[in-house]
Amino acid sequence: MINRLLPLLQFSDSNFPSGAFSHSFGLETYIQEEVIKDKQTFSEALNVYLQKQLVYVDGLACRLAREALEEKNEAAFFHLDELLFASCLSKETRLGNQRMGERMAKLCYELYPEPILEKYIKNMKEKKAYGHSALVFSAVAFHLEVDKHTALQTYLFSTINSLVQNAVRGIPLGQTNGQKLLVEIQPVIEESTRKIMELSEEDLAAVSPGLEIAQMKHERLHVRIFMS
Amino acid sequence: MSLTGAMEIKAVKKAERTILSHCYYEGALKLTRPVYLDENAPSVYMIHVGGGYVDGDVYTTQIQAAREAELSVTTQSHTKVYKTPKKPVVQKTSIHMEENSLVEYMPDPLIAYEQARFVQETDVHMKEGARLIYSDMMTPGWAEDGRSFSYDWIRSMLKVYKNERLVVFDHLFLEPDESISGLMQMEGYSHTGMLLVLHDSVDEKFINIVYERLNTMNLEARFGISELPVKGFMLRILAHSTKTLEELIYKAHDYIRSNLLHRENIQWRKY
Repeated sequence: MINRLLPLLQFSDSNFPSGAFSHSFGLETYIQEEVIKDKQTFSEALNVYLQKQLVYVDGLACRLAREALEEKNEAAFFHLDELLFASCLSKETRLGNQRMGERMAKLCYELYPEPILEKYIKNMKEKKAYGHSALVFSAVAFHLEVDKHTALQTYLFSTINSLVQNAVRGIPLGQTNGQKLLVEIQPVIEESTRKIMELSEEDLAAVSPGLEIAQMKHERLHVRIFMS
Repeated sequence: MSLTGAMEIKAVKKAERTILSHCYYEGALKLTRPVYLDENAPSVYMIHVGGGYVDGDVYTTQIQAAREAELSVTTQSHTKVYKTPKKPVVQKTSIHMEENSLVEYMPDPLIAYEQARFVQETDVHMKEGARLIYSDMMTPGWAEDGRSFSYDWIRSMLKVYKNERLVVFDHLFLEPDESISGLMQMEGYSHTGMLLVLHDSVDEKFINIVYERLNTMNLEARFGISELPVKGFMLRILAHSTKTLEELIYKAHDYIRSNLLHRENIQWRKY
Protein backbone atom coordinates (compact mmCIF):
# COMPACT_ATOMS: atom_id res chain seq x y z
CA MET A 1 0.00 0.00 0.00
CA ILE A 2 1.16 3.48 -0.75
CA ASN A 3 1.51 5.83 2.18
CA ARG A 4 -0.25 8.97 1.03
CA LEU A 5 0.30 11.20 4.03
CA LEU A 6 4.07 11.42 4.05
CA PRO A 7 4.60 12.45 0.41
CA LEU A 8 1.91 15.11 0.82
CA LEU A 9 3.68 16.47 3.89
CA GLN A 10 6.86 16.58 1.85
CA PHE A 11 5.17 18.58 -0.94
CA SER A 12 3.53 21.10 1.34
CA ASP A 13 6.73 21.86 3.23
CA SER A 14 7.73 25.43 2.37
CA ASN A 15 11.31 24.18 2.05
CA PHE A 16 10.27 21.99 -0.87
CA PRO A 17 12.37 23.50 -3.67
CA SER A 18 9.55 24.48 -6.02
CA GLY A 19 10.94 27.95 -6.60
CA ALA A 20 7.91 29.60 -4.95
CA PHE A 21 10.35 31.11 -2.42
CA SER A 22 11.34 33.73 -5.01
CA HIS A 23 7.88 34.81 -6.17
CA SER A 24 5.16 37.00 -4.71
CA PHE A 25 2.89 36.86 -7.81
CA GLY A 26 2.09 40.55 -7.59
CA LEU A 27 1.70 40.77 -3.81
CA GLU A 28 4.97 42.67 -3.46
CA THR A 29 3.41 45.55 -5.42
CA TYR A 30 0.79 45.90 -2.69
CA ILE A 31 3.47 45.65 0.00
CA GLN A 32 5.39 48.53 -1.57
CA GLU A 33 2.22 50.56 -1.92
CA GLU A 34 1.59 49.85 1.77
CA VAL A 35 -1.80 48.40 0.99
CA ILE A 36 -0.51 45.18 2.52
CA LYS A 37 1.35 46.17 5.67
CA ASP A 38 0.40 43.90 8.57
CA LYS A 39 -1.32 40.66 9.48
CA GLN A 40 -4.82 42.06 8.97
CA THR A 41 -4.22 43.52 5.50
CA PHE A 42 -2.22 40.51 4.36
CA SER A 43 -4.95 38.18 5.60
CA GLU A 44 -7.55 40.02 3.49
CA ALA A 45 -5.29 39.84 0.44
CA LEU A 46 -4.55 36.17 0.99
CA ASN A 47 -8.26 35.36 1.19
CA VAL A 48 -9.02 37.09 -2.11
CA TYR A 49 -5.96 35.52 -3.73
CA LEU A 50 -7.18 32.10 -2.67
CA GLN A 51 -10.82 32.60 -3.59
CA LYS A 52 -10.11 34.16 -7.00
CA GLN A 53 -6.68 33.44 -8.42
CA LEU A 54 -6.19 30.00 -6.88
CA VAL A 55 -9.78 28.88 -7.35
CA TYR A 56 -10.25 30.01 -10.96
CA VAL A 57 -6.75 29.50 -12.27
CA ASP A 58 -4.27 27.22 -10.48
CA GLY A 59 -6.77 25.17 -8.47
CA LEU A 60 -9.24 24.59 -11.26
CA ALA A 61 -6.35 23.66 -13.57
CA CYS A 62 -5.15 21.18 -10.95
CA ARG A 63 -8.60 19.54 -10.86
CA LEU A 64 -9.04 19.49 -14.65
CA ALA A 65 -5.55 18.05 -15.10
CA ARG A 66 -6.43 15.27 -12.68
CA GLU A 67 -9.60 14.49 -14.64
CA ALA A 68 -7.65 14.48 -17.89
CA LEU A 69 -5.17 11.98 -16.42
CA GLU A 70 -7.97 9.79 -15.09
CA GLU A 71 -9.46 9.70 -18.58
CA LYS A 72 -6.00 9.06 -20.06
CA ASN A 73 -6.51 12.17 -22.13
CA GLU A 74 -3.00 13.52 -22.63
CA ALA A 75 -4.11 16.08 -25.18
CA ALA A 76 -6.44 17.64 -22.61
CA PHE A 77 -3.62 17.70 -20.06
CA PHE A 78 -1.33 19.58 -22.44
CA HIS A 79 -4.12 21.87 -23.56
CA LEU A 80 -4.38 23.03 -19.92
CA ASP A 81 -0.68 23.81 -19.97
CA GLU A 82 -1.21 25.99 -23.04
CA LEU A 83 -4.25 27.76 -21.55
CA LEU A 84 -2.43 28.56 -18.31
CA PHE A 85 0.53 29.98 -20.16
CA ALA A 86 -1.48 32.04 -22.66
CA SER A 87 -3.80 33.42 -19.97
CA CYS A 88 -1.03 34.87 -17.85
CA LEU A 89 -0.63 38.31 -19.37
CA SER A 90 2.05 39.64 -17.05
CA LYS A 91 5.41 38.63 -18.50
CA GLU A 92 7.22 38.32 -15.20
CA THR A 93 4.56 36.12 -13.61
CA ARG A 94 4.23 34.04 -16.78
CA LEU A 95 7.97 33.38 -16.84
CA GLY A 96 7.95 32.73 -13.09
CA ASN A 97 5.22 30.11 -13.47
CA GLN A 98 7.05 28.57 -16.36
CA ARG A 99 10.35 28.36 -14.49
CA MET A 100 8.68 26.90 -11.41
CA GLY A 101 6.79 24.40 -13.55
CA GLU A 102 9.93 23.24 -15.27
CA ARG A 103 11.84 22.95 -12.02
CA MET A 104 9.01 21.08 -10.30
CA ALA A 105 8.65 18.69 -13.22
CA LYS A 106 12.35 17.81 -13.20
CA LEU A 107 12.47 17.39 -9.46
CA CYS A 108 9.29 15.33 -9.29
CA TYR A 109 10.49 13.14 -12.12
CA GLU A 110 13.57 12.37 -10.03
CA LEU A 111 11.28 11.40 -7.14
CA TYR A 112 8.60 9.60 -9.14
CA PRO A 113 9.71 8.66 -12.67
CA GLU A 114 6.22 8.75 -14.17
CA PRO A 115 5.72 8.63 -17.97
CA ILE A 116 3.51 11.73 -17.96
CA LEU A 117 6.24 13.76 -16.24
CA GLU A 118 8.79 12.44 -18.69
CA LYS A 119 6.54 13.52 -21.55
CA TYR A 120 5.96 16.91 -19.92
CA ILE A 121 9.70 17.52 -19.60
CA LYS A 122 10.29 16.36 -23.16
CA ASN A 123 7.55 18.64 -24.49
CA MET A 124 9.01 21.58 -22.59
CA LYS A 125 12.42 20.87 -24.05
CA GLU A 126 10.91 20.78 -27.54
CA LYS A 127 8.96 23.97 -26.82
CA LYS A 128 5.65 22.18 -27.24
CA ALA A 129 4.73 22.76 -23.60
CA TYR A 130 5.50 25.57 -21.16
CA GLY A 131 5.30 24.12 -17.64
CA HIS A 132 3.11 24.86 -14.65
CA SER A 133 3.45 23.58 -11.10
CA ALA A 134 -0.32 22.93 -10.73
CA LEU A 135 -0.15 20.36 -13.52
CA VAL A 136 3.03 18.75 -12.21
CA PHE A 137 1.52 18.44 -8.76
CA SER A 138 -1.65 16.97 -10.19
CA ALA A 139 0.36 14.34 -12.07
CA VAL A 140 2.26 13.35 -8.93
CA ALA A 141 -0.90 13.18 -6.79
CA PHE A 142 -2.55 11.01 -9.42
CA HIS A 143 0.44 8.69 -9.43
CA LEU A 144 0.31 8.45 -5.62
CA GLU A 145 -3.42 7.68 -5.82
CA VAL A 146 -4.26 10.58 -3.55
CA ASP A 147 -7.96 11.32 -3.92
CA LYS A 148 -8.87 14.42 -5.90
CA HIS A 149 -10.20 16.39 -2.96
CA THR A 150 -7.12 15.81 -0.79
CA ALA A 151 -4.83 16.56 -3.72
CA LEU A 152 -6.55 19.90 -4.30
CA GLN A 153 -6.39 20.83 -0.63
CA THR A 154 -2.71 19.97 -0.51
CA TYR A 155 -2.00 22.05 -3.58
CA LEU A 156 -3.90 25.04 -2.21
CA PHE A 157 -2.34 24.72 1.23
CA SER A 158 1.21 24.42 -0.06
CA THR A 159 0.75 27.44 -2.34
CA ILE A 160 -0.71 29.49 0.51
CA ASN A 161 2.05 28.29 2.81
CA SER A 162 4.75 29.61 0.46
CA LEU A 163 2.97 32.96 0.16
CA VAL A 164 2.75 33.22 3.94
CA GLN A 165 6.43 32.40 4.36
CA ASN A 166 7.25 35.03 1.74
CA ALA A 167 5.05 37.56 3.55
CA VAL A 168 6.79 36.81 6.84
CA ARG A 169 10.05 37.90 5.17
CA GLY A 170 8.65 40.57 2.88
CA ILE A 171 6.22 42.64 4.97
CA PRO A 172 7.62 41.52 7.49
CA LEU A 173 5.28 39.58 9.77
CA GLY A 174 6.20 37.67 12.88
CA GLN A 175 6.50 33.89 12.59
CA THR A 176 3.63 33.46 15.04
CA ASN A 177 1.38 35.66 12.92
CA GLY A 178 2.31 33.62 9.89
CA GLN A 179 1.29 30.41 11.63
CA LYS A 180 -1.94 31.99 12.88
CA LEU A 181 -2.80 32.92 9.31
CA LEU A 182 -2.26 29.34 8.23
CA VAL A 183 -4.76 28.18 10.84
CA GLU A 184 -7.29 30.88 10.01
CA ILE A 185 -7.25 30.15 6.30
CA GLN A 186 -7.98 26.43 6.65
CA PRO A 187 -11.79 26.73 6.50
CA VAL A 188 -11.41 28.97 3.43
CA ILE A 189 -9.27 26.29 1.80
CA GLU A 190 -12.04 23.77 2.45
CA GLU A 191 -14.63 26.12 0.97
CA SER A 192 -12.41 26.92 -2.02
CA THR A 193 -11.92 23.23 -2.72
CA ARG A 194 -15.69 22.77 -2.83
CA LYS A 195 -15.99 25.76 -5.14
CA ILE A 196 -13.35 24.35 -7.51
CA MET A 197 -15.31 21.10 -7.72
CA GLU A 198 -18.43 23.06 -8.72
CA LEU A 199 -16.83 25.17 -11.45
CA SER A 200 -16.95 24.22 -15.08
CA GLU A 201 -14.21 24.06 -17.65
CA GLU A 202 -15.23 27.38 -19.15
CA ASP A 203 -14.47 29.13 -15.84
CA LEU A 204 -10.78 28.34 -16.23
CA ALA A 205 -8.29 31.19 -16.08
CA ALA A 206 -10.73 33.98 -15.27
CA VAL A 207 -8.43 36.85 -14.41
CA SER A 208 -8.53 39.01 -11.30
CA PRO A 209 -8.02 42.32 -13.09
CA GLY A 210 -6.53 44.19 -10.13
CA LEU A 211 -4.11 41.38 -9.35
CA GLU A 212 -3.00 41.19 -12.97
CA ILE A 213 -2.31 44.92 -12.95
CA ALA A 214 -0.33 44.50 -9.70
CA GLN A 215 1.72 41.77 -11.39
CA MET A 216 2.35 44.05 -14.37
CA LYS A 217 3.27 46.92 -12.07
CA HIS A 218 5.74 44.66 -10.26
CA GLU A 219 7.80 44.57 -13.43
CA ARG A 220 8.35 48.32 -12.98
CA LEU A 221 9.25 48.39 -9.26
CA HIS A 222 12.74 49.68 -8.73
CA VAL A 223 13.68 47.72 -5.64
CA ARG A 224 12.27 44.33 -4.97
CA ILE A 225 12.84 41.17 -2.97
CA PHE A 226 10.86 38.87 -5.26
CA MET A 227 11.18 37.98 -8.93
CA SER A 228 7.46 38.51 -9.52
CA MET B 1 -29.60 28.65 -32.17
CA SER B 2 -31.39 31.45 -33.95
CA LEU B 3 -29.44 34.63 -34.41
CA THR B 4 -30.66 38.04 -33.37
CA GLY B 5 -28.10 39.63 -35.62
CA ALA B 6 -25.18 38.60 -37.80
CA MET B 7 -22.61 40.29 -39.93
CA GLU B 8 -19.70 39.35 -42.16
CA ILE B 9 -16.99 41.48 -43.68
CA LYS B 10 -14.11 40.57 -45.90
CA ALA B 11 -11.40 43.05 -46.76
CA VAL B 12 -8.97 42.57 -49.63
CA LYS B 13 -6.16 44.69 -50.94
CA LYS B 14 -6.51 46.03 -54.46
CA ALA B 15 -3.51 47.99 -55.70
CA GLU B 16 -2.77 50.50 -52.93
CA ARG B 17 -6.16 50.42 -51.39
CA THR B 18 -8.14 47.99 -49.24
CA ILE B 19 -11.72 47.44 -50.32
CA LEU B 20 -14.53 45.34 -48.88
CA SER B 21 -15.07 42.38 -51.18
CA HIS B 22 -17.85 41.00 -49.04
CA CYS B 23 -20.20 42.73 -46.68
CA TYR B 24 -23.30 41.12 -45.29
CA TYR B 25 -25.61 41.74 -42.34
CA GLU B 26 -28.96 40.55 -41.10
CA GLY B 27 -31.32 40.95 -38.17
CA ALA B 28 -30.53 43.59 -35.60
CA LEU B 29 -27.00 44.28 -36.85
CA LYS B 30 -26.14 46.67 -39.65
CA LEU B 31 -22.96 47.99 -41.16
CA THR B 32 -22.32 51.42 -42.55
CA ARG B 33 -20.70 51.86 -45.93
CA PRO B 34 -16.94 52.00 -45.51
CA VAL B 35 -15.52 55.41 -44.76
CA TYR B 36 -11.96 56.21 -45.86
CA LEU B 37 -10.70 58.23 -42.91
CA ASP B 38 -7.33 56.77 -43.82
CA GLU B 39 -7.04 57.09 -47.58
CA ASN B 40 -6.06 53.45 -48.13
CA ALA B 41 -7.87 51.65 -45.32
CA PRO B 42 -11.61 51.60 -44.80
CA SER B 43 -13.35 52.06 -41.46
CA VAL B 44 -16.69 50.40 -40.96
CA TYR B 45 -19.15 51.04 -38.16
CA MET B 46 -21.30 48.31 -36.70
CA ILE B 47 -24.78 49.49 -35.79
CA HIS B 48 -27.36 47.88 -33.58
CA VAL B 49 -30.77 48.80 -34.94
CA GLY B 50 -32.65 48.09 -31.71
CA GLY B 51 -32.11 49.99 -28.48
CA GLY B 52 -29.75 47.41 -27.03
CA TYR B 53 -29.19 43.75 -26.28
CA VAL B 54 -31.97 41.94 -24.43
CA ASP B 55 -32.68 38.52 -22.94
CA GLY B 56 -31.43 35.60 -25.02
CA ASP B 57 -30.03 37.67 -27.88
CA VAL B 58 -27.33 35.97 -29.93
CA TYR B 59 -25.01 37.89 -32.26
CA THR B 60 -22.26 36.72 -34.54
CA THR B 61 -19.64 38.75 -36.34
CA GLN B 62 -17.06 37.50 -38.82
CA ILE B 63 -14.22 39.64 -40.01
CA GLN B 64 -11.70 38.53 -42.56
CA ALA B 65 -8.66 40.41 -43.71
CA ALA B 66 -6.86 39.00 -46.73
CA ARG B 67 -3.12 39.37 -47.36
CA GLU B 68 -1.93 42.95 -46.81
CA ALA B 69 -5.50 44.21 -46.32
CA GLU B 70 -6.01 46.94 -43.72
CA LEU B 71 -9.32 47.47 -42.00
CA SER B 72 -10.75 49.29 -39.01
CA VAL B 73 -13.94 48.16 -37.33
CA THR B 74 -15.76 50.10 -34.66
CA THR B 75 -19.30 50.74 -33.47
CA GLN B 76 -21.54 53.73 -33.90
CA SER B 77 -22.35 53.93 -30.19
CA HIS B 78 -22.18 52.04 -26.90
CA THR B 79 -23.45 48.51 -26.70
CA LYS B 80 -26.13 48.33 -24.04
CA VAL B 81 -27.05 45.09 -22.35
CA TYR B 82 -30.35 45.14 -20.45
CA LYS B 83 -31.58 42.62 -17.93
CA THR B 84 -31.59 39.01 -18.99
CA PRO B 85 -34.06 37.16 -16.77
CA LYS B 86 -33.99 33.91 -18.75
CA LYS B 87 -30.91 33.65 -20.92
CA PRO B 88 -27.68 35.61 -21.10
CA VAL B 89 -26.84 37.60 -24.19
CA VAL B 90 -24.19 35.90 -26.33
CA GLN B 91 -21.89 37.64 -28.75
CA LYS B 92 -19.48 35.64 -30.86
CA THR B 93 -16.84 37.26 -32.97
CA SER B 94 -14.23 35.67 -35.16
CA ILE B 95 -11.45 37.54 -36.87
CA HIS B 96 -9.27 35.87 -39.50
CA MET B 97 -6.15 37.68 -40.56
CA GLU B 98 -3.93 36.57 -43.39
CA GLU B 99 -0.26 37.46 -43.86
CA ASN B 100 0.64 41.10 -43.15
CA SER B 101 -2.95 42.20 -42.76
CA LEU B 102 -3.98 44.83 -40.24
CA VAL B 103 -7.17 44.87 -38.20
CA GLU B 104 -8.05 47.58 -35.73
CA TYR B 105 -11.05 46.40 -33.77
CA MET B 106 -12.06 49.08 -31.32
CA PRO B 107 -15.72 49.12 -30.39
CA ASP B 108 -17.35 51.61 -28.03
CA PRO B 109 -17.78 50.45 -24.43
CA LEU B 110 -20.26 47.88 -23.35
CA ILE B 111 -22.74 49.06 -20.74
CA ALA B 112 -24.22 46.33 -18.56
CA TYR B 113 -27.41 47.34 -16.77
CA GLU B 114 -29.16 45.87 -13.74
CA GLN B 115 -29.43 42.07 -13.85
CA ALA B 116 -27.65 41.83 -17.18
CA ARG B 117 -25.71 38.69 -18.05
CA PHE B 118 -23.43 38.86 -21.03
CA VAL B 119 -20.94 36.49 -22.58
CA GLN B 120 -18.59 37.49 -25.33
CA GLU B 121 -16.38 34.99 -27.13
CA THR B 122 -13.84 36.30 -29.56
CA ASP B 123 -11.39 34.20 -31.55
CA VAL B 124 -8.64 35.79 -33.57
CA HIS B 125 -6.54 33.76 -36.02
CA MET B 126 -3.42 35.48 -37.25
CA LYS B 127 -0.92 34.51 -39.89
CA GLU B 128 2.69 35.65 -40.13
CA GLY B 129 3.15 39.41 -40.10
CA ALA B 130 -0.49 40.14 -39.26
CA ARG B 131 -1.05 43.17 -37.01
CA LEU B 132 -3.85 43.47 -34.51
CA ILE B 133 -5.01 46.44 -32.47
CA TYR B 134 -7.91 45.39 -30.25
CA SER B 135 -9.64 47.25 -27.46
CA ASP B 136 -12.55 46.56 -25.20
CA MET B 137 -14.29 48.37 -22.34
CA MET B 138 -16.74 46.99 -19.81
CA THR B 139 -18.77 49.51 -17.85
CA PRO B 140 -21.68 49.38 -15.43
CA GLY B 141 -25.02 50.90 -16.36
CA TRP B 142 -27.07 53.22 -14.22
CA ALA B 143 -29.03 51.43 -11.53
CA GLU B 144 -32.02 52.71 -9.62
CA ASP B 145 -30.36 52.18 -6.25
CA GLY B 146 -27.10 53.78 -7.39
CA ARG B 147 -24.99 50.64 -7.08
CA SER B 148 -21.91 50.44 -9.32
CA PHE B 149 -22.24 46.74 -9.89
CA SER B 150 -25.88 45.92 -10.50
CA TYR B 151 -25.33 43.57 -13.41
CA ASP B 152 -25.35 39.84 -12.69
CA TRP B 153 -22.17 39.02 -14.56
CA ILE B 154 -20.07 39.74 -17.64
CA ARG B 155 -17.80 37.18 -19.20
CA SER B 156 -15.38 38.00 -21.97
CA MET B 157 -13.13 35.37 -23.49
CA LEU B 158 -10.63 36.46 -26.08
CA LYS B 159 -8.39 33.87 -27.68
CA VAL B 160 -5.69 34.81 -30.12
CA TYR B 161 -3.97 32.17 -32.23
CA LYS B 162 -0.82 32.89 -34.15
CA ASN B 163 -0.16 30.35 -36.89
CA GLU B 164 -2.74 28.09 -35.20
CA ARG B 165 -1.06 28.20 -31.79
CA LEU B 166 -2.84 29.82 -28.82
CA VAL B 167 -0.76 32.78 -27.74
CA VAL B 168 -3.12 35.02 -25.78
CA PHE B 169 -6.12 34.04 -23.70
CA ASP B 170 -7.75 36.97 -21.97
CA HIS B 171 -10.59 35.77 -19.79
CA LEU B 172 -12.39 38.45 -17.85
CA PHE B 173 -15.23 37.31 -15.64
CA LEU B 174 -16.86 39.98 -13.53
CA GLU B 175 -19.43 38.65 -11.11
CA PRO B 176 -20.28 41.23 -8.47
CA ASP B 177 -19.91 39.81 -4.95
CA GLU B 178 -18.67 41.32 -1.69
CA SER B 179 -15.08 41.42 -2.97
CA ILE B 180 -15.62 42.78 -6.51
CA SER B 181 -14.76 46.38 -5.72
CA GLY B 182 -11.82 45.53 -3.51
CA LEU B 183 -8.21 44.43 -3.61
CA MET B 184 -7.07 42.39 -6.61
CA GLN B 185 -10.48 42.74 -8.22
CA MET B 186 -11.63 46.23 -9.26
CA GLU B 187 -9.49 48.06 -6.64
CA GLY B 188 -12.20 50.60 -5.87
CA TYR B 189 -12.93 51.33 -9.53
CA SER B 190 -16.04 50.50 -11.53
CA HIS B 191 -14.90 50.58 -15.17
CA THR B 192 -12.40 48.31 -16.87
CA GLY B 193 -10.77 48.44 -20.28
CA MET B 194 -7.99 46.81 -22.23
CA LEU B 195 -5.88 47.35 -25.30
CA LEU B 196 -4.13 44.46 -26.99
CA VAL B 197 -1.50 45.19 -29.59
CA LEU B 198 0.18 42.45 -31.60
CA HIS B 199 2.74 43.75 -34.04
CA ASP B 200 6.19 42.42 -34.95
CA SER B 201 7.88 45.77 -34.24
CA VAL B 202 6.75 46.02 -30.62
CA ASP B 203 9.67 45.63 -28.23
CA GLU B 204 10.36 46.45 -24.60
CA LYS B 205 11.47 49.95 -25.45
CA PHE B 206 8.26 50.69 -27.30
CA ILE B 207 6.20 49.35 -24.39
CA ASN B 208 8.15 51.54 -21.95
CA ILE B 209 7.41 54.62 -24.03
CA VAL B 210 3.69 53.82 -24.14
CA TYR B 211 3.74 53.30 -20.38
CA GLU B 212 5.48 56.62 -19.76
CA ARG B 213 3.10 58.51 -22.03
CA LEU B 214 0.09 57.15 -20.20
CA ASN B 215 1.68 57.60 -16.80
CA THR B 216 2.39 61.29 -17.34
CA MET B 217 -1.30 61.92 -18.07
CA ASN B 218 -1.85 61.55 -14.32
CA LEU B 219 -5.41 60.35 -14.65
CA GLU B 220 -7.44 58.76 -11.90
CA ALA B 221 -6.93 55.22 -13.03
CA ARG B 222 -4.84 52.16 -12.29
CA PHE B 223 -3.22 50.40 -15.19
CA GLY B 224 -0.61 47.85 -16.08
CA ILE B 225 1.16 47.02 -19.30
CA SER B 226 3.22 43.96 -20.12
CA GLU B 227 4.93 42.19 -22.97
CA LEU B 228 3.26 39.10 -24.43
CA PRO B 229 4.79 35.77 -25.52
CA VAL B 230 4.54 36.96 -29.13
CA LYS B 231 5.60 40.46 -30.17
CA GLY B 232 3.08 42.77 -28.61
CA PHE B 233 1.63 43.98 -25.34
CA MET B 234 -1.43 43.97 -23.17
CA LEU B 235 -2.66 47.09 -21.41
CA ARG B 236 -5.27 46.66 -18.68
CA ILE B 237 -6.96 49.64 -17.06
CA LEU B 238 -9.29 50.25 -14.14
CA ALA B 239 -11.01 53.65 -13.89
CA HIS B 240 -14.02 55.50 -12.54
CA SER B 241 -15.37 56.56 -15.91
CA THR B 242 -15.58 55.67 -19.58
CA LYS B 243 -13.97 59.00 -20.40
CA THR B 244 -10.78 58.08 -18.52
CA LEU B 245 -10.61 54.64 -20.12
CA GLU B 246 -11.03 56.22 -23.54
CA GLU B 247 -8.45 58.93 -22.92
CA LEU B 248 -5.83 56.32 -22.02
CA ILE B 249 -6.69 53.91 -24.81
CA TYR B 250 -6.85 56.65 -27.48
CA LYS B 251 -3.58 58.15 -26.29
CA ALA B 252 -1.91 54.77 -26.71
CA HIS B 253 -3.70 54.21 -30.01
CA ASP B 254 -2.54 57.55 -31.44
CA TYR B 255 1.03 56.72 -30.52
CA ILE B 256 0.70 53.28 -32.10
CA ARG B 257 -0.73 54.70 -35.30
CA SER B 258 2.04 57.21 -35.74
CA ASN B 259 4.99 55.16 -34.47
CA LEU B 260 4.11 51.57 -35.27
CA LEU B 261 1.74 51.77 -38.23
CA HIS B 262 3.22 55.04 -39.55
CA ARG B 263 -0.21 56.41 -40.34
CA GLU B 264 -2.03 59.62 -39.63
CA ASN B 265 -4.25 59.55 -36.60
CA ILE B 266 -7.92 59.06 -37.27
CA GLN B 267 -11.00 60.25 -35.42
CA TRP B 268 -13.71 57.64 -35.43
CA ARG B 269 -15.75 59.17 -32.72
CA LYS B 270 -18.98 60.70 -33.69
CA TYR B 271 -19.93 62.75 -30.67
